[in-house]
Amino acid sequence: MDNNKTIEYDYIIGADKNIRDILKVSDITPLLQSAVKAGAAYAAIEDDTGKALYQHSGISESPSSPEVTVKKPLYIEGEVAGYIIVKADDGIINTIGELMLASINTILKSSYKALLATETHKTVVHQSFEELLETNRKLIQSENKYRELANSLEKTVQQRTEELRQAHAKLLTQEKIVSIGQLAAGIAHEINNPLGFILSNINTLKQYVSKMKGMLVFYRDAVEKGTVEKELLGQKWKKLKLDFVFQDIEDLITESSGGAERVKKIVSDLKGFSHIDEAKEADADINKEIDRTINVLVHEIPGDAEIIRNYHEFPLFACNPADLCQAFFNIILNALQTGTKGLKLTITTGYSNGNIRVSFSDNGPGMPEDLRNRIFEPFFTTKEVGKGTGMGLNVTYEIITSYGGTIDVESKPGKGATFTISLPVTERAKQI
Amino acid sequence: MIEYDEFENRMILKLVYYGPALSGKTTNLLRLHDLLEKQGRGDLTVLDTKNDRTIFFDLLPFFLVAPSRLKIKLKVFTVPGQVKHDATRKAVLQRADGVAFIADSQLSEETTNFESFKNLEENLQFVGLDIEEIPLVIQFNKRDLKNTITEADIKGTWGPTGIPVFLSSATEGWGIVETFGTLVGQAYDHIDKKHYLKDKHGLDKETFIQQLTRKINEVSIIPSPLAGEG
Ligand SMILES: Nc1nc2c(ncn2[C@@H]2O[C@H](COP(=O)(O)OP(=O)(O)OP(=O)(O)O)[C@@H](O)[C@H]2O)c(=O)[nH]1
Ligand SMILES: Nc1ncnc2c1ncn2[C@@H]1O[C@H](COP(=O)(O)OP(=O)(O)O)[C@@H](O)[C@H]1O
Ligand SMILES: [Mg+2]
Ligand SMILES: [Mg+2]
Repeated sequence: MDNNKTIEYDYIIGADKNIRDILKVSDITPLLQSAVKAGAAYAAIEDDTGKALYQHSGISESPSSPEVTVKKPLYIEGEVAGYIIVKADDGIINTIGELMLASINTILKSSYKALLATETHKTVVHQSFEELLETNRKLIQSENKYRELANSLEKTVQQRTEELRQAHAKLLTQEKIVSIGQLAAGIAHEINNPLGFILSNINTLKQYVSKMKGMLVFYRDAVEKGTVEKELLGQKWKKLKLDFVFQDIEDLITESSGGAERVKKIVSDLKGFSHIDEAKEADADINKEIDRTINVLVHEIPGDAEIIRNYHEFPLFACNPADLCQAFFNIILNALQTGTKGLKLTITTGYSNGNIRVSFSDNGPGMPEDLRNRIFEPFFTTKEVGKGTGMGLNVTYEIITSYGGTIDVESKPGKGATFTISLPVTERAKQI
Repeated sequence: MIEYDEFENRMILKLVYYGPALSGKTTNLLRLHDLLEKQGRGDLTVLDTKNDRTIFFDLLPFFLVAPSRLKIKLKVFTVPGQVKHDATRKAVLQRADGVAFIADSQLSEETTNFESFKNLEENLQFVGLDIEEIPLVIQFNKRDLKNTITEADIKGTWGPTGIPVFLSSATEGWGIVETFGTLVGQAYDHIDKKHYLKDKHGLDKETFIQQLTRKINEVSIIPSPLAGEG
């Protein structure tokens, strides 16, 4: 049973009523007055202790015959509750007494009933009201509790969501920094090489320029002195190895501009990968984006590795291309990081049933099921501390699902791994 | 207990006749009023009825004086049985010293009886009374009619509860005083435990019951108790 609250009332049904509760002055006074008018010297109502409650006396006190007093009991619930007192002449006392008793008893009975009825009614109404109040109070209480709970829950959820969002945003940038950091070494090497020989070429060119300068000054002096001699000039030319210099200058310049081109390409690949100069949202050609991603990873690709591009044509995809590149990057980098000798990475793109499908299939070590089930979890990594963040595939997953796409992995130990991405093409994008 | 004034030396007790609509609660009090000695009791007050259906309650007061001069007033109430008067039932039940549950024996009334009994349990709890503690008797009224629940069924259902059960016909006037007498006796035990009616006031159970159930001479009553006193 539940624990309903017990409600106490001021009025308990059955509580005794005394005569004063029941009889009202307005009911009694006319009666007492009429008794006096009828000839009584005195008429009164007393309570059960004999105390007069209501009384009325005649004006003239001139008894013509001996005065008699009658006292008759009044009953409430069968108990004596008071008395009627009438003083009058012997001749009329009984008549007045009987009349008084009859009328007062009638009034008493009906007033008693009316009183019980009203008090019961009041109690019931009061009780129903109390019950209502109680129910209401309980409702309000529980409502408040739930509202509070809901409020604080909402707040907590908001707070946690914000915390998570911030943490995640931080992780995303961290992951980007890490992957770019991983890239940096290779890129530095890649840029350093051409820059190195460009710099040494410039040095050589400087020497060549001073040689040419030496030749030209020798020639000008000879002209001024009027001692221009073919043989002397020829000797000087030979000494300065100008034939070789001219020959070499051409090579050096070709080589240097080749190097500069290479640096320029690396920068533009990086830019292309990061889409730094582009609008956030664009209609991207997925094949091109994959190429861009591979381009920034070129230096990570060992000589014995092979990347097979098995591309097909399909509609442009409305997206943030930088995000998409990041998603591809993380998958390709993982394949490269398996350190597989003679790595073969097959990238297949295609389009079917409104979905762009991209799969990355490698012939690496693959992974067992328990590992496969966890690779998309944040921070899940099998790589040594400092090498893996465990965020790569999680970021990829987040990016792909944010476009309503899916990513699956198929893999068995020793049998390589295949990551398949599926991206739904929206109507807008299809029309283009 | 409605009131106990040690200084004034008076005690007011409350007994309640509870049960479904039309089971014969009011008729029970009418019969008690007719059957019992006028001395020691007041008149039956039938409060506001509508087509013979009780709206508020009926009240039959009794009084007696213990050897200690303790004045004991016993007020017997009926509640309105109609479902819609539940608030009044709760109000009347407040501070009851005993309950007579008047069931209607007619087969058609079986579920109504159960619902009313459930309602009694709920309302007792609501007013803070323990159904395990409070004096309680059950009366299966209207035994004069046909198509009534069998004695065996009544015994089967209520026997295990240990609650005294009586068969009656309020219109024919039998089983009524027995029900009342048993309830009064239980109420005595209940109050004696706390207020020492016998030890402190010199009032024993037999006298108490006898004083409250004195019949007007010559009225023949066929008693029909079903279960013994609990
Ligand atoms: N045949 C028969 N009829 C009865 C008996 N007791 C009561 N009645 C009839 O049943 C009807 C209802 O009786 P009441 O005593 O007014 O019923 P109640 O329990 O007070 O009803 P509520 O006030 O509505 O709760 C009346 O017509 C009674 O005459 C009985 O023992 N036998
Ligand atoms: N192509 C793959 N072949 C085998 N295992 C892979 C491959 N790609 C990812 N994994 C496994 O998934 C894990 C999680 O990858 P990722 O989320 O990119 O984090 P991280 O590369 O920092 O470890 C890797 O540690 C590796 O164990
Ligand atoms: Mg990774
Ligand atoms: Mg009634």
